[in-house]
Amino acid sequence: MIIRGDEPEQIELLKKMYPKGNYFMQGDEAIAYGALFAGCRFYAGYPITPASEIAETMARELPKLKGYYIQMEDEIGSIAAVVGASWTGFKSMTATSGPGFSLMQENLGYAIFTETPLVLVDIQRSGPSTGQATKGAQGDFFQARWGTHGDHPIIAISPTSVEDSFWETIRAFSLSEKFRIPVLVLADGIIGHTREQIKIPDPEEVEIVYRKLPTSDEEAKYPFGDVHGDLIPPMPLFGHDYFTHVTGSTHKENGLRDVYTPEVHDRLVRRLHKKIELHKTEIQKWEEYYIEDAEILLVSWGVSARPSLGAVMEGRKKGIKVGLFIPKTVHPFPGERIKELSKNVQLIIVSEMNLGQVILEVQRFVRDEVPVIGVNKIGGVPLTVEEILKEIESSAERSRHRSAD
Amino acid sequence: MGWVITMQIRLAGFGGQGVILAGVILGDAAAIEGLNVIQTQDYGSQSRGGHSIADLIISKDPIYDLIVTKADVLLALAQLGYDSTKESLREGGLLIVDTELVQPDREFTGAPFTRIAEEEVGLALTVNMVALGYLVAKTNIVKKESVEEAIRRRVPKGTEEINLKAFRIGYEEGTK
Repeated sequence: MIIRGDEPEQIELLKKMYPKGNYFMQGDEAIAYGALFAGCRFYAGYPITPASEIAETMARELPKLKGYYIQMEDEIGSIAAVVGASWTGFKSMTATSGPGFSLMQENLGYAIFTETPLVLVDIQRSGPSTGQATKGAQGDFFQARWGTHGDHPIIAISPTSVEDSFWETIRAFSLSEKFRIPVLVLADGIIGHTREQIKIPDPEEVEIVYRKLPTSDEEAKYPFGDVHGDLIPPMPLFGHDYFTHVTGSTHKENGLRDVYTPEVHDRLVRRLHKKIELHKTEIQKWEEYYIEDAEILLVSWGVSARPSLGAVMEGRKKGIKVGLFIPKTVHPFPGERIKELSKNVQLIIVSEMNLGQVILEVQRFVRDEVPVIGVNKIGGVPLTVEEILKEIESSAERSRHRSAD
Repeated sequence: MGWVITMQIRLAGFGGQGVILAGVILGDAAAIEGLNVIQTQDYGSQSRGGHSIADLIISKDPIYDLIVTKADVLLALAQLGYDSTKESLREGGLLIVDTELVQPDREFTGAPFTRIAEEEVGLALTVNMVALGYLVAKTNIVKKESVEEAIRRRVPKGTEEINLKAFRIGYEEGTK
């Protein structure tokens, strides 16, 4: 039996198990509860610091909601099981970190090519390799985009706090189901292990999205075809009356392999890209603070967005016209909006826990029109309000000097 | 200590002393009172014996930092924890130590928490609750009752009473 998450029985279970109210929990736990409220009833995973609490929470809670948890032999098996479960109709998730995320790349590509909805959580930790296993980082921005080989689209979301992790995980499921694509949740070891208050809502307050299913034999014949003109094919489920072929090799609209005809490959890969491009405004999401009169634009994401906002507010108190842009959907990157904002600012500062990743995307969009500088920190300790403020202040000072010259 | 808008608290010891659980319980108590609270931790990858630090920022205002930048209160249960964190305590900040395990090089207060846990509570493992009780009495950061509720929620089932006992003994010690 498929569970979508919005059945009256499931709503009652959620209400009984996790009554509406204030909770004090870790980001990892908030991601797990977000998944449960979104209707996720299948999890396969392999524990790894700092993502293990997600597996722990799912292992404990899923059976209470008639869901399934499988402890796998490794990360390769974990995402493979999640792909399989998704084709049977379950909203499915796995979570990992660092080396585990690297191991999942091949099957992530398989999921992208077979248009399999799933949520993959990467609790970014300090790398490369085993790195600082217990420490957070933001070094997987480009791995999220290009970690698996070949031309492919991807959606990645990055939450900024514990409560945000709950809601953004729900959004990850909605986008994944709606657009038949794996969605990455790029959190990090700091948010994952930070505890703070979160408001758990009534399950009715959560919008449940479920994938489009074929409504006739005719529709079910084209599990990879644009049957509705929205580039999103309806997804026939295993064990539900239709004959369906799913392969990671290039396939025709009917799912059967054709790895020789150039047009077939061209048509399929272009449709996958166009599908995301067409629905981009629905997929992209960002936050803006004090943008209207900003002369300095701070861009930050994930865990670094929070001290960045603190720094912007301190800067404002000192009379510096500084604003903040936070991409919440980091892929596809909202570069057009940053380009628009850049027209009114003198300088862009990008703060992140790596040696410069999002800054490259920003530069790609604003070109040489505006100087872009980075505030970068690695080593596992999050950026502080003071560190970011210092950069804002010295930048403001420099531009004052320039205008005086 | 009077209540200010924001209080930064750092608890330090070695792995196995329950420093992080004490931090979680204090954070939970603050959350119960409707205060803003953020709690993070830092520990070695070994399960026992490495350093272990719990950070708390408790505030009536929204919190933008994730880690303690300048501690108002530092609780050190081991020399290892003290040595690696003493620089983070602000000038004039409150230093609380286990007086038999830590030799501080600045003004401090404290009690032999580990010995109290062994002799008065009857279980050395409850050192974290004894020290937490002492800290809460000294700082008044949250109400005693809120911490007791958090202890009931957070300690392993069946150990509530001994943990509450340890917390109360530590609290008494702190009011002396």
